[in-house]
Amino acid sequence: MYRIFTAAALAVAAATGNAGAQDFPNKPVQLMVAFPAGGSTDIGARIVASIAEKALGQPIVVVNKGGAGGQVGWTEMVRQRPDGHYIGYINLPATNTVILDPDRKAIFTEKDFTPIINHVLDPGVIWVKADSQYKTVQDLIDAAKKAPNTLRAATTGILSDDHLAILMTEEAAPGAVFRLVHLEGGAAQFKELMAGNIDVAFDNVGSIVPRVRSGEVRALAVMDDARSKFLPDVPTMKELGYPTVMSNSTRGIAGPKGMPAAVVGKLREVLKKAMDDPEHVSKLESQGLAIKVMIGDEYEKYFADTHAKAKKYTDWAKNRPQK
Amino acid sequence: MDTLQHLLTGLAAAASLQNLSFALIGCILGTLIGVLPGLGPAAGTAILIPLTFTLDPIGALIMLSAIYYGAMYGGTITSVLINVPGEAASVVTCFDGYQMAKQGRGGTALGIAAIGSFVGGIAATLALIVVAPPLARVALSFGPPEFFALMLVGLALITGLSGQSLLPALVMAVLGLLVALVGIDPVRGAPRFTFGVPSLYDGVGFIPVVMGLFGVAEILLTIEKPYRQVIKTNLSSLLPSRPEWRRALGAIGRGTGIGFFLGLIPGVGSIIPTFVAYVFEKRISKTPEQFGQGAIEGVAAPETANNAYANAAMIPLLTLGIPSSPTIAVLMGAFIINGLTPGPFLFKERPDLVWAVIASFMIGNVLLLVLNLPFVGLWARLLHLPYQYVCVGTLLFCVIGAYSLQQSVFDVGVMIACGIIGYGLRKVDLPIAPLVLGLILGPFIEKSLRTSLEMSGGDFSIFFTRPLCLGLLVIAAAVLAASMLRLPPPQLRESNP
Amino acid sequence: MRRGRQIACVCLLGIFLAALITSLDYSLTDALGPGPGFFPFWLSLIGAVLTAGILVQEAREPDPGPLEWPQGPAALQAAAVPVALAAAAALIEPLGYRPTMLIFIAGLLPVLGARSPVGIMLTALAGSFGVFHVFYYWLKVPLPLGTLGL
Repeated sequence: MYRIFTAAALAVAAATGNAGAQDFPNKPVQLMVAFPAGGSTDIGARIVASIAEKALGQPIVVVNKGGAGGQVGWTEMVRQRPDGHYIGYINLPATNTVILDPDRKAIFTEKDFTPIINHVLDPGVIWVKADSQYKTVQDLIDAAKKAPNTLRAATTGILSDDHLAILMTEEAAPGAVFRLVHLEGGAAQFKELMAGNIDVAFDNVGSIVPRVRSGEVRALAVMDDARSKFLPDVPTMKELGYPTVMSNSTRGIAGPKGMPAAVVGKLREVLKKAMDDPEHVSKLESQGLAIKVMIGDEYEKYFADTHAKAKKYTDWAKNRPQK
Repeated sequence: MDTLQHLLTGLAAAASLQNLSFALIGCILGTLIGVLPGLGPAAGTAILIPLTFTLDPIGALIMLSAIYYGAMYGGTITSVLINVPGEAASVVTCFDGYQMAKQGRGGTALGIAAIGSFVGGIAATLALIVVAPPLARVALSFGPPEFFALMLVGLALITGLSGQSLLPALVMAVLGLLVALVGIDPVRGAPRFTFGVPSLYDGVGFIPVVMGLFGVAEILLTIEKPYRQVIKTNLSSLLPSRPEWRRALGAIGRGTGIGFFLGLIPGVGSIIPTFVAYVFEKRISKTPEQFGQGAIEGVAAPETANNAYANAAMIPLLTLGIPSSPTIAVLMGAFIINGLTPGPFLFKERPDLVWAVIASFMIGNVLLLVLNLPFVGLWARLLHLPYQYVCVGTLLFCVIGAYSLQQSVFDVGVMIACGIIGYGLRKVDLPIAPLVLGLILGPFIEKSLRTSLEMSGGDFSIFFTRPLCLGLLVIAAAVLAASMLRLPPPQLRESNP
Repeated sequence: MRRGRQIACVCLLGIFLAALITSLDYSLTDALGPGPGFFPFWLSLIGAVLTAGILVQEAREPDPGPLEWPQGPAALQAAAVPVALAAAAALIEPLGYRPTMLIFIAGLLPVLGARSPVGIMLTALAGSFGVFHVFYYWLKVPLPLGTLGL
């Protein structure tokens, strides 16, 4: 009796274990985007999917599971079978802050994902109206120091990467305090800035490149290691003397934890090829999105680093007196 | 005049055979998207963006814009025929449109909707041409405090929906507002009333709720009666009668104005103009008790407002680069992918492109009318199928619609629950429309209040020191007072939509 | 009708009171003004008061007459609808869209009184396999495949 049981158990284990890796993919793959259709993550995903599915041999269907700043989609993803047929976009540091915010009661932690490949790295940027009185970041910081909690700085959402970036700026320039206004997305920021309801906006390069080019807005600084190739005239915070203000928003593809290495390898190969494809590159670059493919250890390290950094600022954000 | 010249050049470009066919394809696709359950205009447009990669920029934009306002019309068809709104903005059309269909006048309802949409769209486009840039600037002065005040005006209008039974309408509205608060709150970004269910983090889905309250509940009400025919009388003429024409035309005129002005304000969703137009029409009507029973103005007003809104909402996009709604944001994404960033710069530097797109709106509106009017009779005939097929078809429609929004069984569950609740509410004569209005306005009210206070650093005087905001608050108070005082002497209790 | 309305109002009252109590868990004010609990608290309070008002009003006005509940076969058919829907919702993901909807349509149509086997079969096939094909392959909108990949 015992032997039959063990044999059966072993057989089941063998069948469901690595068998998946050999005949992957054997049905369409679902690529989850944790934001509503039409957003920039979504459009990027659809472009990648349409190119990658040819090499994969099975259709890649983009599934939108938006809501709660991505939490709904990521919650769904960690519950799926890690056989490679359900993968999705994770957005760092948004995914991190959802995990770290105790109020969110996320059912997943950073260990519940298998990072596959990173797609886009969109550096943070500080921008103002073209005719604003603030011509440089220093103007801004001086004004924030002179009249703390008066200058209205917009984010794209509570605990977004922009939110954390403002806190980083306050940390790097002690005495500067901004009045945080949480708007929903870059378009809202643009409108309120034009209307004069806010003074400065923190967002990402991809959102504003076209407007900087057309002269409607002025980018004061980019929060990255090096200047953005889309905004070559805009200095980095590092150059301006604030090297600790480094913030960006990445989009990458991951799966639930426990994916077999062979499956991850195949997905990586197919997706990397799609991301290197010239048509894909040109479409993304026309939107001002910087492609930064990261795989393997590099991506995992990036994930861990971002998580640690996000923890510090998330805690601060939750306890900030002026909210 | 410079603008006229631009328009004519634009018309010439838009009327090229190639662009005409793009507009046509867009209209057809858009109508289909509007009819198909769950697939709203935003998602539908997003899905079709890759399709346009192979086209030249103008062609792509013409097609995508056509899809956008085509979808507005498609949603009407299901509202009228099976009391299920094809997309959120079509909810109000259910009130009277479905009743008209039950009286065998579904064709008339669809017809007047098509005509109203056409008039609203053309008028809005013409107004766009004449007053675009200056009006757009006015729209900019609508910030979060003004928005909050506008939402209060919307709330005050609920009293206009209620007719005699004010108390039940208020209760339903409060319930709607409360349900709207479920989800992540705009203050701390933490879940509220979600009881650990992740599917609720983004709130109780609006579409599953209305599909249940309207569609499923209606089916239950149809089945429970011994006499099962969905249509009570035979199909009559497709066109409205002479007195109906007069009432409808008035409603169309007013709907155009309301839709146009609300379309200029960024952030006003597509449902709000329809509600405002409907309630306004009911308030000034000499026969308000007919609303909810198949009054033709009850269809003409919201449908016209809807299309006027859709066309007017392109103004902030094209002149300022500000998208007024999520669907338009998708459209804007499409512009950008095609290398064109909408905004004052594009307006000045590439008027040929912008005006070709604007001209295509006019052509698109004509195309929609031409496409849809002939089929109106055909659509209406669907209701003559044996009622079992209509019912099961509608249920299938609702299930797919609720599920495919977020690939979520939970949403289907919400829809079923709301179907039962809606059935119960109708049996005890508690009005559903205020509930829906509360559900729509709720999130806007809290968010705009919060954002206003963030801007002012907690100072409430911001609402009183901004002239436009103060003005709107006064209007809200006035509307409320007028309704309270104008209540006619109590009559027999009427049934409410 | 009055009894029905009273029951409905009592349910509403229950909802409002439950919301009131839950909202106390969320802070009512914060640094900038109304906190997450502010609106829920006041809305549930106002809702409860107004609902109580309806109950009072009900007691004073004449009863408009009894509620018409469905009788006999119509009642069974009406009850079948939510049951069928719930079953479909429960099965659609494990079983997959096509089999679930096939059973749903082919099952519900006869219950509601459809008689023609050809009509039923055709509708069931169109609504399950046909619709699936349109949505999944043409529109790229995913409908569940089920554990059996159906």
